[in-house]
Amino acid sequence: MQLLLRYSLIGLILFSATPLVAADAESLLQEMEDRLYGDTAIIKLAMVVGNRRGERRMEMESYSSGRDRNFIKITYPAKDRGITFLKIDNGLWQYVPRIEKIIKIPAAMMLQSWMGSDFSNDDLVRESLLSRDYHSSISAEDDETWTLELTARAEAPVVWGRLLVVLSREHLLPLRVDYYDEENQLIRTLEYSRYSEMGGRIYPARWFMQPREAGQEERWTRIDVMEAAFDLDIPEETFSKRALKRLSR
Amino acid sequence: MFLDLAWKNICSQRRRSLVTVLLLLFATAILVFSGAFMEGSHRQMIRSAVEIYPSYLQITGNGYRDEPGVDRLVFDLAALNNVLNAQSEVALATSRYESFALLVSDHQALGALLAAVEPDKEAQVSRLKQSLIRGEYLSNNDQNQVYLGRELAQRLKVDVGSNLAFVGSGADSSFAADRLHVKGIFQTGLFDFDNSSAFVNRTYIEPLMALDNTASHVIVLPHNPDQVQDLARLLSQRLPPELGLEVRSWQETMSGLVEAMTVDSIFGYLTLSVLFLVILFVITIYTLLAIMARTREIGILRAIGSSQRQIFTLLLLEGLILTLAGVIPGGMLGGAFAWYFQENPFSFSAWEEQFKQYNLAVSTLPALFSLTQILRDMIIMTLAALMAMLVPLLRVTRLRPTEAMRHV
Repeated sequence: MQLLLRYSLIGLILFSATPLVAADAESLLQEMEDRLYGDTAIIKLAMVVGNRRGERRMEMESYSSGRDRNFIKITYPAKDRGITFLKIDNGLWQYVPRIEKIIKIPAAMMLQSWMGSDFSNDDLVRESLLSRDYHSSISAEDDETWTLELTARAEAPVVWGRLLVVLSREHLLPLRVDYYDEENQLIRTLEYSRYSEMGGRIYPARWFMQPREAGQEERWTRIDVMEAAFDLDIPEETFSKRALKRLSR
Repeated sequence: MFLDLAWKNICSQRRRSLVTVLLLLFATAILVFSGAFMEGSHRQMIRSAVEIYPSYLQITGNGYRDEPGVDRLVFDLAALNNVLNAQSEVALATSRYESFALLVSDHQALGALLAAVEPDKEAQVSRLKQSLIRGEYLSNNDQNQVYLGRELAQRLKVDVGSNLAFVGSGADSSFAADRLHVKGIFQTGLFDFDNSSAFVNRTYIEPLMALDNTASHVIVLPHNPDQVQDLARLLSQRLPPELGLEVRSWQETMSGLVEAMTVDSIFGYLTLSVLFLVILFVITIYTLLAIMARTREIGILRAIGSSQRQIFTLLLLEGLILTLAGVIPGGMLGGAFAWYFQENPFSFSAWEEQFKQYNLAVSTLPALFSLTQILRDMIIMTLAALMAMLVPLLRVTRLRPTEAMRHV
């Protein structure tokens, strides 16, 4: 009887071995997102967009709570100051002081560039929710990194066919993400660098987005994180449509 | 002598002759007129499509046509205009700046083409101004006035005088937004265009969108629209390469439409050729019957010394007379119809509204009266008819006299 128990226990361990590995990739991704976005995050950042004609710098403040709520306010340049964005319920709203209007970005515009950068409106809504929209598995690993391969879940309305996330073992934070379309063409690469201590944790201070499609070689977008604070209380008010206009000033 | 004989033979077989002539007359008239109508209506459709907005000749930054973007603009508009103004073949050149923007009304937010144009010049290169249905067309002094496509206005639930706002980006990809008033509404009949296009005065939007010295397109109106391809080639050579521009005639920008029309013509001619095959087959049979009936006569002719070649010439001459008797008046009849419908095009104005819903921006379809095309069709018909007669002809002239004479 004891023998039987022992064997069934071994059997159980053997059988559950495969799902354990899969769960591992999922939990790595979860952990990465937790470290990148925290329970709440307040980040001041500069976004520099470059193309063959030069560079353009914007500055903004971002307030996020959990993975699905985000409020962004443009603070520089002066002509754009006070433009606010709110991401809630998988939707994106925008307030533009010059026209005094709150606008819900329509679905047809989600893939358009966000503020002239190489990020799209869709990125703003979905980027922080990779673990919800994608299956992940470990496709490669070495002493310093894991490479996670993300494939879209059947029901997820996502634009990418496949993502490769190179994860630093040391920080459990991303080093590089490659975005492939459904034809498996590399469309763009996002690189995280300049890891330093910010808001009490190690955080990538530079995010660099490089489009990889032909003819886009001269374009790039760089995000420089200037200040970050994590897990502070952010008033619930911030994530309401009323805040778009009120916090714009 | 041959001619007399041939004429006599034709007259002696009135029924065969008459049927052959009438068939050929009918077939030629149909061929000439259908050809003229297809050509004419295709030209009309292409012309409307070209003139509504794309216009005859476009200059863009290299690669803009394949993948539009702020990296592929015309970056030195002034330099380009200097070159264009020096060309005697250029009647007019005007710039456009096209961008994708969000248009926001009190009810709706929709993505659309927002194009900055030079209103006075634009009116001369496209049908934008003529397509006005309500309100007014733009003027060169307009501030935040917008000229909207009818379907787009409907979807936004706005009309002349309503307020709108746009949110978009400038030539430096910076953020651009402002309020707009609807000044006029247009309908070109191209549904997709009317459903997604809005126009503003360039001088108004220039500072907002940081246009400076840039444009997405420069539209060139040639003095002679028929020579647009030559002008495109000429400009490609004369524009300094450092400007990084490409010149495209409408034949290239609208190549899809041109191809569609060619395919349509091919199918039109294929359908006609089925009809002609039947007609030619009937002619072959009639010729065969007529000649068979004369086998004996031909045998006798051979017996009294006519050569094979003489008989062949005689029969061919008969055939040729019949053919020409059908083809020439047929061509004239078809030509007359072509001319009439060129001057008085088929009019669909009663159904224009329905047509526009089907994305057809034409209300009249003219035929094209072209002498070369009519002559071409007549020659084709003559050759086809002679071919149809050749088979029975060759058969009968190859008979030996003794054999033929015994034929009953």
